[in-house]
Amino acid sequence: MATTTKHEIGKWDTFHSNGPFDTKVLYKTSLAGKGNMPSWLDRYNDAVAEIQRLLKEALDHQEGFRAYGSAWSMNHIAHHNDNMHFNAEMNLKKAILDDEMHPDSAFQRENLFFVQCGNTIKELHKFLFDHGKALKASGASNGQTIAGCISTGVHGSAIDVGSVQDYVVGLNLIIGPDANDIVYLERASEPALNDVFADRIKARVIRDDDLFNAALVGLGAFGFIHGVLIEGEDRYLLKRYVRKIPKELALELAETMDFANSAFVIPSETDANGKGLRPFHYKIFINPYRNDPEYVVEAIYKKPYQPDYPDPVPRMKTAIYRDLIVLFTKIAEKYKNSIPKLIRLLQNSVLPPPDLDATGTLGEIFWDAGYQGPAYACAVGIDHKDSPRALAILTKLAREEGPIPGIYAMRFVKQSRATLAFTKFRVNCMLEIDGLIWKPKKNNMISLEKFCTRTIELLLQNNIPFTIHWGKNADWKFPGLVAHMYGVKAGEWMHQRRKLLSKEQAKLFSNGFLYEVNLAEAVV
Amino acid sequence: MDLFLHARGRRAKWLLIPLLIVLLTSCYSVRIVNKDGVPEPDPLNQSGNFYKGLKVHTLDTTIKLKLAEGEFHLIERCASGGFFSFEYRVNLGGVLLSAVTLGKLRRVKIKYVCLKEQN
Repeated sequence: MATTTKHEIGKWDTFHSNGPFDTKVLYKTSLAGKGNMPSWLDRYNDAVAEIQRLLKEALDHQEGFRAYGSAWSMNHIAHHNDNMHFNAEMNLKKAILDDEMHPDSAFQRENLFFVQCGNTIKELHKFLFDHGKALKASGASNGQTIAGCISTGVHGSAIDVGSVQDYVVGLNLIIGPDANDIVYLERASEPALNDVFADRIKARVIRDDDLFNAALVGLGAFGFIHGVLIEGEDRYLLKRYVRKIPKELALELAETMDFANSAFVIPSETDANGKGLRPFHYKIFINPYRNDPEYVVEAIYKKPYQPDYPDPVPRMKTAIYRDLIVLFTKIAEKYKNSIPKLIRLLQNSVLPPPDLDATGTLGEIFWDAGYQGPAYACAVGIDHKDSPRALAILTKLAREEGPIPGIYAMRFVKQSRATLAFTKFRVNCMLEIDGLIWKPKKNNMISLEKFCTRTIELLLQNNIPFTIHWGKNADWKFPGLVAHMYGVKAGEWMHQRRKLLSKEQAKLFSNGFLYEVNLAEAVV
Repeated sequence: MDLFLHARGRRAKWLLIPLLIVLLTSCYSVRIVNKDGVPEPDPLNQSGNFYKGLKVHTLDTTIKLKLAEGEFHLIERCASGGFFSFEYRVNLGGVLLSAVTLGKLRRVKIKYVCLKEQN
């Protein structure tokens, strides 16, 4: 039997220490032991029963319930005042069997994997690798759980691939305590698995494109995501280059994404005519406090997999231009406890020299990024064509109304089909500033909250359409924010939620964040 | 007399320097991390360091060796069958204890994290 321990914690915090937030109870569920329950399916269904028991208890007490995994979101999206559920120990995973494929499926069975909510990206890298496959993309990190990634739209900088949710093709949701509350959801237009599979996990099947697209980036509000069907691809390698290039050139690429006709050419990454290849990943690092003539860019190219390549992890472990928080904390090491000195350092120093080139799998190039101390991150999504203009506005904000301890980066991600994906533009520029949390009063500085508000105000004033990363810091109470960002899609998302959940269930899976952004209005 | 005191002061300085070197260099830790491993999580661990969110096991003990014994084994168990990380800490007290007892008493301070069980 799966077992759950109950902890009356009082306070809960995120991995990056963005809280703490008041919380009554934290539940932690562990699967039944393999020795006692050898069947994968029995253990999976046994976990369902345990989750349903907890949901019933919450419903009986008219309380809310929110699951989370690695707590990597940097705001209160994963938080609930009543009951929180830690699901990172629920990490079953399986390949798909022949008799589980839908007859009309266009997916290759070998590429499909059904994984439980609490699997981290690192676990999935290993599991897929052992099956000769690889994830299509990650959040340029590996610590998040799969359910957390898709619920908040976690992205890397895969220009032509998209975010983590974009390779999810099926969802197993638990929406309440009854037998009918176990749902297997996929797109009607792209069926993947058949009723044999659904029967095995005791789920009723819903094939509905609109509902699936809404539930995909579901903000934890479409029920307990128990299982996720992902599509992988054949193993591949990534070759990573970090270069300093003229800032005009870096921004021209951001605006055009035209790598073939750019002066930015890496000699080993050209076609037969000597034109630059389109990278898998493109990222720009920007110190907002200096008018440097050059920016550091990271370009990563996809290569066929071959086994005998040097282990890149020792090199990546010491690389500076990785996760933006890693870069910032490396720069800040000396002055972590003196924000004014740190700001002066940013104002007076160019960014460190580029890292050495490296080749490895997706999981190796984006290897472990451990705890770096209390950190913040603000990220807006904009059409890549607007990116140079938005960067000019937001770096001016940092310089003139700041300074704040952080540096900017731009990443580029393909459009998502998820209804409330913040990657809603054809090619998105995710413009982000990451850094260390500071005390504004102590240092007589602008507060993070005010900085976030000003970011929204300036983008509005300059008529730049934008979205905000669901898992990062923002002024989520800004009036009409979600309606402005998503327009009719916000209403569509709520409509789809009403299709799936009763009022009681909707209330069960609503939290303060959802009320704050006016997406819980369907709940009475 | 002054010369004598000065010479004594200089001698004391020379004695202090190696002592300081011993003090400063004798307290350190070494951490080994499993490249492909996934650590066992612990949502209740809110420590503000490498171990945040991880289930940490600590061994803090003194091992007593018999006269003929030169080495020892500590047998620990991870339910998942493997270690994610292993940190061995050496401090001055431990070094002195070992030196004074000719290696027969050894202070052991270890922190380890098991691999997350794979299912």
